[in-house]
Amino acid sequence: MKLAHSSTVPVPVERVWTVVMDVPRAAACVPGVSGVSGAGEDRFRGDLAVQVGPVRLSFSGEVAIVARDDAAHRATLRADAKEARLGGSVHASVEIALARAGEGCALRIESDLQVAGRIGELGQPLIQRKADQLLREFGACLARTAA
Amino acid sequence: MSYAYHEPSELDEALALLARHGDDAHAVAGATAFMLLYRQGLLRPSHVVGLRRVRSLGGIRDDGGALVIGATATHREAERSPLVARHCAALARAFASVATVRVRNQATVGGNLAHADPAQDPPAMLLALDAAVTAVSPGGTREIPLAELFVDVLTTSLAPGELITAVRVPALAPGTRAAYVKFLPRTADDYATVSVAATLRRSEDGRVADVRVVLGAVGPTPIRATSAEDALRGAAPDAARIAEAAALARDAADPIDDVRGSAAYKREMARVWTERALRSLVA
Repeated sequence: MKLAHSSTVPVPVERVWTVVMDVPRAAACVPGVSGVSGAGEDRFRGDLAVQVGPVRLSFSGEVAIVARDDAAHRATLRADAKEARLGGSVHASVEIALARAGEGCALRIESDLQVAGRIGELGQPLIQRKADQLLREFGACLARTAA
Repeated sequence: MSYAYHEPSELDEALALLARHGDDAHAVAGATAFMLLYRQGLLRPSHVVGLRRVRSLGGIRDDGGALVIGATATHREAERSPLVARHCAALARAFASVATVRVRNQATVGGNLAHADPAQDPPAMLLALDAAVTAVSPGGTREIPLAELFVDVLTTSLAPGELITAVRVPALAPGTRAAYVKFLPRTADDYATVSVAATLRRSEDGRVADVRVVLGAVGPTPIRATSAEDALRGAAPDAARIAEAAALARDAADPIDDVRGSAAYKREMARVWTERALRSLVA
């Protein structure tokens, strides 16, 4: 499942880039994230609680920065998480790209999501809406944090 | 996996059970929506609180011109109720068009609203009729207009442990007509590709005095097409004006691609079925 999110942040690109690449700080901008800690060079562990209607999910997993280009403001992240309550897993490849947009910064996040196990029963429409919502809130919070 | 099933006969008892078990408890009435999610493995409560023995939650009555449908009244009771039919025949039809008789005999009016499935029939019609639910929690009772109840797919503004006790449909202004239509390209018991609930009242000069248009199944909640309503209010509802309003309803839809059609197709069908619903109201 492919997701794309773009938004514009009224903050210079370098400032946003610093926050995005500070994974524990950036992760605090995703609603439901907790307990983020380092797990080696460019690797981080953490938990994510998500509620989709009456269904509550709790993920536990790892995020790794697999490639980054500080000059071009582009990075590729890999996320692998297990869901403990119902059973299942999510694997995601995430491309982040920042670009100058006037005084501010254009943020583009493209994700390729693989959902396995029982949580897949939620169905793509519901998962997609929830993921879109998380990304929107992430973008809005990033603007506040970097400002 | 299993759960303890509680069947209290008093509302206070039900609220106390839900408060005591918190996230581990799930309230059900007909349990049709619950069983689907449970069998898919998406819900794993340790306690299930059945509400059907709570007598104060049942029944359908007239309250000074308003129609009050108890939360545990079944869809079948609502569709066959003379009170519902007298209040608004289109509402009775909306209840009658849910799934199959077997489901309607089991599924309840309050449960349907709490489940907040945007593709269901009663939510769109009840929103067009400006209905509100009465909700109760240990903290007290409040009225929630349907426009504020539905927040997202399967998500309501009910607080944890809060229950719907009834839905209240206000008296319709004299001369108000109502329609509920849905597009079912696959089978008669399928979810709609799009549904349209509308009410319309004309003044003596034939112009539209009041109108409400609600789209079902084409967004995360039922969607009120207010721009379509604005285009009609105060105008003579001729074919051109209705076509214009229907085009605005298409723009109000926010559908997703799925087996019932692409997003673009569903938007177009929202236009077509809004036009049909509105034409039936001025015929």
